[in-house]
Amino acid sequence: MVFSVAIGTAMAASLIALSMDVSSKVSNELRAFGANILVEPKIEGLADITGQKRYLRQDDIVKSKVIFWRHNILGVAPFLESEATSVFGGKKEHVKLLGIWYSKKLPLPGETETFEAGVKSVSPWWNVNGAWPDSNSRNVAVGVSFASRSGVKKGDSLKLDGADFVVSGIVDTGGAEDDQVLMDIDTLQEFKGLRGKVSKVLVSALTTPMDEFAYKDQTTMSKAEYEKWYCTGYVTSIAKQLEEVFHNSRVKPIWQVAATEGKVLEKLSFLMYLLCFISLSASALGVSTTMIMSLLRRVDEIGLMKAVGADSAKIIAIFLSEGVVIGIAGGFAGYLLSIGAAKFIGIKVFNTAFEHRAVLFPVALGSALFISLSGMVLPIKRALRIKSAVVLKGSE
Amino acid sequence: MAFIKLDSASKIYETAQALRGVDLEVEQGQWLNIVGPSGSGKSTLLNVIGGLDSLSSGNVVIDGAEITGLSEDAMAVFRRERIGFVFQQAHLIPYLNAVENVMLSQYFHSMSDEDEAIEALKRVGLGHRLTHRPSQLSGGEQQRVCIARALINSPKLLLADEPTGNLDRENTRIILELLKKLHQEEHFTIILVTHDPFVSQWGQRIITMEDGKIKCDEFICYL
Ligand SMILES: Nc1ncnc2c1ncn2[C@@H]1O[C@H](COP(=O)(O)OP(=O)(O)OP(=O)(O)O)[C@@H](O)[C@H]1O
Ligand SMILES: [Mg+2]
Repeated sequence: MVFSVAIGTAMAASLIALSMDVSSKVSNELRAFGANILVEPKIEGLADITGQKRYLRQDDIVKSKVIFWRHNILGVAPFLESEATSVFGGKKEHVKLLGIWYSKKLPLPGETETFEAGVKSVSPWWNVNGAWPDSNSRNVAVGVSFASRSGVKKGDSLKLDGADFVVSGIVDTGGAEDDQVLMDIDTLQEFKGLRGKVSKVLVSALTTPMDEFAYKDQTTMSKAEYEKWYCTGYVTSIAKQLEEVFHNSRVKPIWQVAATEGKVLEKLSFLMYLLCFISLSASALGVSTTMIMSLLRRVDEIGLMKAVGADSAKIIAIFLSEGVVIGIAGGFAGYLLSIGAAKFIGIKVFNTAFEHRAVLFPVALGSALFISLSGMVLPIKRALRIKSAVVLKGSE
Repeated sequence: MAFIKLDSASKIYETAQALRGVDLEVEQGQWLNIVGPSGSGKSTLLNVIGGLDSLSSGNVVIDGAEITGLSEDAMAVFRRERIGFVFQQAHLIPYLNAVENVMLSQYFHSMSDEDEAIEALKRVGLGHRLTHRPSQLSGGEQQRVCIARALINSPKLLLADEPTGNLDRENTRIILELLKKLHQEEHFTIILVTHDPFVSQWGQRIITMEDGKIKCDEFICYL
């Protein structure tokens, strides 16, 4: 019986452990589906009318790592867009140029650590056959569609606006980039005279799912509310903080991604709690049946207690104290089991062990008591119905 | 007024009528034996008096208290205050020793008192078997533990259903001698059900049950 309480407790406690960590773990995994925040230059005034190009400052990128939610910023990738006329094998073509970093170590202001920026951190599925162009060469990588259309191969030389470049790889992203020519952002800046400028920045941030409060209009919030909103990791508040550090910028959540994530996480934690409840109930049922079995072996005893003068309160007290003892024992065992189980599941599913949390002990004990005491309800009802006259009867 | 008074007590089960209008009065301190063929309603009568079973119709008054229609819990209180039971089977709790089995009865009554429990066991001649488990005791010894348990709270009424039914003549005699001694010392009322003519001769009165009714009621000479 202690065993079945322990199993139930272990299930429940490890599920609760999982659900406490799973949101962050899963949203980490979900981040692989791309950036959820887009930083663009603010378009306003004359620039808007004349269609003049606006840029962000490359220097602002590192500042994304000094905002309140810096630890939630998992990836940052700047892009610089431009155009050129390409010549290859005598064929002239108008192409879009895209300046990127694939993986660039940026020094963090005031710290010895560096942080990795670039496409790899927001779109890890971008694939190159060959090498990504680096900053101190005149290498380019061309998109697969462009390559197959123009016949460009790895190692070929490509003329862009009259200058010579070498194709270091063929890029496959599944997006618009497949039609473009990619080069290092620094190379492109120099080539086009756009030093220190970027067109847009994609940010991948770990966020708290949007709840009702998150959708409130910030302009109508009280100071305290605003503070709370600002210090919660909603995609909108992180966007707001990014807007504050990027000069002349407009920062928007990429809603498809953010909203889907929120939904997935919500469903997931609902599922976890459901599972948790089911496992608790199942083991309570187990306790109940074992208890009733042992009760059947003890009807004599209970009948006798009643004959000797035990009233229902005493009978209930006897069973409940047994329940408490079983619950505590089961809780201990279940707690130990759940530590192992949570570790195991964490490693199997997410490749990292779950943090051990002290909270789990009271949780385990609580669920064990819940299991054993709720498992006692039926047996107690049975016990109270026992008729000593029938049980203790004469000879049989 | 009589210590126990039954008024046209009837008990009907779905399959049988166990008591058919029994009238009975028992004086305080009397030792009454109930005899009769199997199925005649002896145990039912005893259980009704002990509040283990309820009547279908009629009345039971014990020690001035009307127990007909009491709730189960009120019945339990009534039992632990005034009645001791001895059954044919010892019905001792197997994992408790002799002293603890006696203390259980104290526990339900008020508070356990080990010294008192030991004293009670000594009085039934089991001073040397205090910490034995039921399985380590002979049938006669088990029955004596039951008597100690039944009398530990000084009840006014002792109900015994075939207390010697499982015992040989020698042990039966020991039990009866013991009951007689305690009865003379403490003057509680005894109602004892038995098949055994030898047993029924101990006491002051014999009633014979037949088919749910009292067929015969005789006072005998107290041995
Ligand atoms: N719980 C019960 N349900 C149905 N019928 C019962 C029940 N208890 C007793 N009876 C019936 O009531 C009648 C009287 O039973 P009771 O046990 O009082 O007899 P008894 O005189 O004690 O017999 P015995 O000497 O064999 O112990 C019997 O016919 C029995 O079958
Ligand atoms: Mg009987």
